Amino acid sequence: MARVSGLRSFVARRLLLGALQIVAVVLLVFALTEALPGDAAVALAGDQPDPARIEAIRAAMELDRPAWERLADWVAGLLLHGDFGTSLTSGRPVGEYITDGFGPTLLLATLTVALLVPAGFGLGVLAARHEGRIVDRVISSVTLAVYAVPEFALGVLLVTVFALQLGWLPPTAVGYGTDLLGHPSALVLPVLVLLSRPVCSLVRLVRAGMIDALASPYVAQARRYGVAGVRVRYAHALPNALAPAAQQLARTIDWLLCGVIVVETLYVIPGLGTVLLGAVAERDVPVVQGLAVVFGALTVALNLGADVVAHRLAPRAGVAA
Amino acid sequence: MRNARGGRFALGAVVVAVPLVLALIGPALAGEPGPRAASFTLGDGHRLGTDFVGRDVWRQVLHGGRPVVLTALAATVLAYLVALPVGLFGALTRRRRVEELLMRPLDVLLAVPSLLLILLVATVFSPGAVGLALLVAVVNVPDAARLVRAAATEIAARPAVEALRMQGETWWRTAVGYVGRSMLRTLAADAGTRLTGVLYLVATAAFLGVGVAPDAADWAVMVDRNRTGLFVQPWAVIVPALLIVALTTGTNLLFDAALDRGARRGAPTRTPRTRAVGTGVRSRAEKEARP
Repeated sequence: MARVSGLRSFVARRLLLGALQIVAVVLLVFALTEALPGDAAVALAGDQPDPARIEAIRAAMELDRPAWERLADWVAGLLLHGDFGTSLTSGRPVGEYITDGFGPTLLLATLTVALLVPAGFGLGVLAARHEGRIVDRVISSVTLAVYAVPEFALGVLLVTVFALQLGWLPPTAVGYGTDLLGHPSALVLPVLVLLSRPVCSLVRLVRAGMIDALASPYVAQARRYGVAGVRVRYAHALPNALAPAAQQLARTIDWLLCGVIVVETLYVIPGLGTVLLGAVAERDVPVVQGLAVVFGALTVALNLGADVVAHRLAPRAGVAA
Repeated sequence: MRNARGGRFALGAVVVAVPLVLALIGPALAGEPGPRAASFTLGDGHRLGTDFVGRDVWRQVLHGGRPVVLTALAATVLAYLVALPVGLFGALTRRRRVEELLMRPLDVLLAVPSLLLILLVATVFSPGAVGLALLVAVVNVPDAARLVRAAATEIAARPAVEALRMQGETWWRTAVGYVGRSMLRTLAADAGTRLTGVLYLVATAAFLGVGVAPDAADWAVMVDRNRTGLFVQPWAVIVPALLIVALTTGTNLLFDAALDRGARRGAPTRTPRTRAVGTGVRSRAEKEARP
């Protein structure tokens, strides 16, 4: 692999990879429709194979034109007019679906990330300071156990305890529509479930990084000079524990996305995940296409940002690009 | 510290044993399906009540573990079947272009969120259990291939490989006999974390209705379909959910403790102390940085 000379060429390579990744998502969706055995319109009609509907699907997706023409049209429409096409089932523009679902999903994601960073770093540093003692053991064991649990299983168990047994929180967000901020109690469980996996991995990573850094020669040297413990810990050791954590933060985007889809289904929140699942169930290809591109682009952009931050923090680490 | 690790190992083994035993011998114990009763009732000869279409929940629980466990195992094995040759070949080939051709497309796939990829395919096809296993395997191939390549590249730079080459040994003996064998520990470590991830993905996909029949006897499907009756008959949801939690948590605890033990046994004897500190530093951070 060629040595990455500087930040600029690193960003350039990374941008190129990101663009390729988005193109891959677009191509994949189109390739899947092409790979359908037999007549795509018949296959997409699925459970309601009446001729009128099949004809409507064929006309709406312009299936009698060659695939590359449709792809070119779609990309041109998206880039020139921001037009994602129209839904097969409702006839509404796909853009509307996306703007409708964006609010709740953004709220969930923002809240989760806002809590994730302080919780992850706080607990990680706490565990590292008490390495081997009871605090560390409890934090390490709990994070290791919760790390692997699928959101839906954790989610229904939390609902059973907090909504069914104790009656403290509402079981779902049914009836609140998109006005979730007005009902903060309905947000507690979804955010908690969304946090569970990313927090665990971040805590473990920060703990490992801190323990390594605190055991390193330069920290020992700083201590010999008589630098205060707090300063050694936060000004010298913590920044070095940050680089792997920043990269992990990018990986958790993938988890957050999976989590958002599950959590929105579980707690009946009308966000992008719910829209996506509905469209998948109805085989509404244009809506799925639009959402896949939005999700794909978001992931790529956030990954890019995190990689650049990690590269700045630790240029030696050799982030893949 | 050693006691704590041993305790973690035992705890993991116990926690994972319950769902695993249920999954393996459950179907044999279940017996014939009884007549259907009313939905979401408690008692009345049903140990855990009835589910959303009036079937006995206990019987569904006995049947529901096998698909989750088998699909996850199959997906993990399939992922390695592809990733091993691709990664090994990528690491050992002398031609840069072949390496780029093999590995770059995988880099592109790596950033597409895994559940999104599965849902995309599910829009157009209706994958069955086999399809789901294939899909989850495909999602895992890029990362596994990268890991195999990284491990193999490091080993391929050793003098021993150079000696094998100069001796005129066949590609097979060098690649499989030496490089493949030398990275078994790395692979074992990765297989543990990968299995945990695959279990998560298989269960979540089934919960979202991908790769399963809507009334399938599958723990994840049971959680999804019986959710509507949570307030009337919680057992139909709680029992399968707890079993999934036990399965995933137990697997993770077990592998983590086993790997710690293996690493401890191997590390100090082979490397001098100064280097042991250096490699230890890297391995700790890398061990935590899993996908």
